[in-house]
Amino acid sequence: MGRNKDQRLLRRPGLGDTLASGLAVAALALLAGFISLPFISLLLWTVSENSWRAMASPVAIDALLLSIKTTSVSMAIILTVGTPAAYVLARAEFPGKKIVETLVDIPAVLPPSAAGIALLLAFGRFGLVGQHLEVFGVTVTFTTAAVIIAEVFVAGHFYVRQAAVGFAGVRRDVEEAAMVDGAGRFSTFTKVTVPLAFPALVAGAMMAWARALGEFGATIVFAGSFRGITQTVPLAIFAEFQGNIDAAVALSVLVLGFAFVVILTVRYLTAKTTNHGN
Amino acid sequence: MPFLHEGYRVLTAAVGLGVLAGLFGCGSSASEGGDGGGGGALTVLAASSLTDAFGELEVRFEEQNPGVEVRQSFESSSTLLTQIQQGAPADVFAPASEEEMDTAMEEGLAGGEPEVFAENREVVMVPKDNPAGIEGLRDVAKPGVKLVLAEEGVPAADYALEILGKAEEEYGVGFEKSVLSNVVSREADVRASVNRVVVGDADATFGYASDYTPDIRDRVQMVPIPPDLNITATYPVAVLEDAKEPDLAREWVDLVTGEEGRRVLEKWGFEPAA
Repeated sequence: MGRNKDQRLLRRPGLGDTLASGLAVAALALLAGFISLPFISLLLWTVSENSWRAMASPVAIDALLLSIKTTSVSMAIILTVGTPAAYVLARAEFPGKKIVETLVDIPAVLPPSAAGIALLLAFGRFGLVGQHLEVFGVTVTFTTAAVIIAEVFVAGHFYVRQAAVGFAGVRRDVEEAAMVDGAGRFSTFTKVTVPLAFPALVAGAMMAWARALGEFGATIVFAGSFRGITQTVPLAIFAEFQGNIDAAVALSVLVLGFAFVVILTVRYLTAKTTNHGN
Repeated sequence: MPFLHEGYRVLTAAVGLGVLAGLFGCGSSASEGGDGGGGGALTVLAASSLTDAFGELEVRFEEQNPGVEVRQSFESSSTLLTQIQQGAPADVFAPASEEEMDTAMEEGLAGGEPEVFAENREVVMVPKDNPAGIEGLRDVAKPGVKLVLAEEGVPAADYALEILGKAEEEYGVGFEKSVLSNVVSREADVRASVNRVVVGDADATFGYASDYTPDIRDRVQMVPIPPDLNITATYPVAVLEDAKEPDLAREWVDLVTGEEGRRVLEKWGFEPAA
């Protein structure tokens, strides 16, 4: 039967097949062109207006440093809390699981500006939690902590969902075999489950990080915008757009380059570790 | 990958081009149809402080011109200017400062002579319960006050800085610096900074008297700025050079500068142009 199938696959492609392939390739070319056009425009503007200098401006440096700082902390929180949470979602059956899963999904569907309003009503000075924090002299809005809260809220989903799928793909009998061999529950998780689900975890972490880096709506509504404190790269781009378009373009190019470097590095490292594991 | 046969590459390219041409073709014909048909559409770009007054005038204008649709975009004057410079299709420009209008004139973006149709004054706005105890402009410099300003380049914020500069002479050296060290956030436009006070997360902001609208009066208090330190914000309006509906645009300018416009603007806290 396998041979028959192979022969059918290998038959000479007819005109219809080739047309379909041609259309698919054209679609891909169209998509690639559509995505690269804005990037090319950014670079062309930067070259023609010679706005490279704006990348080294204090506003740009402060914004980039703040983005690196806040997304690092956000990712640390998301990985620490999200990894065990995702494992529970993948393995355990409990009443209300569907509700919890939906809850985890909501921030991904909610427009970020709506998330910002919700966070403001929760952690703002007169918010549900915020008013009690205020008693202790703790104010969250307009602080770097607010930026991190916004990023974790909006980006957490992308890691937890992907990690849960990854964990679900690890066969139970492999874990059980490790435990029979004397490994504890925790060391089975760290030495067997996590390495097996590693590609999914990295993919999820990348998505979450990208989302956190691009976070705009929730941050500007909930955290406000102030240089060095809450003005991350997306907010700085928006602020510069009010008056200095060269600086806005330069910042966009800067963050584009930064994202590119991070994605390539992670791709390279993952390829290395997975090869190593095999 | 025996995917693409040499002979069909040309076909693929042709299909790709056809799709592109189709997209652009549809795009342009749709926009032509939208502008040409019916009574037309008038696009007005106005400073965010004009939101309520121009919103009311929009209803009048559409009543007086059946079939005409007025589309308004309210943002900071600096954002609107950038949009016009980037070729945003619009008919009328009404910023909150003559600076933006001057730039638009110099760059040949606004046609004719702009007319000043209203004036406005700056005030300090604080939440109703006034947590920072701000009774006058001087109190904004108190340590720990959470002050919100509009973004740099937004007229409302630039006027505030001008006021602080004048106050420095009266309240002593270091006043301006103390106030600016209290700034916790810079918002996109004046309405956004006023909303920080409405929600109660900011202790104070600088806004226009006209921003003290009826719907926020139960949550916000207005603290006047001494007249000798205050500035006068002037609102010019002009028809844009690339206006698609220059006649409707002219009519809008006449409505705003006329008797009815004056009445509506005064109702919303603006002063008539001197």
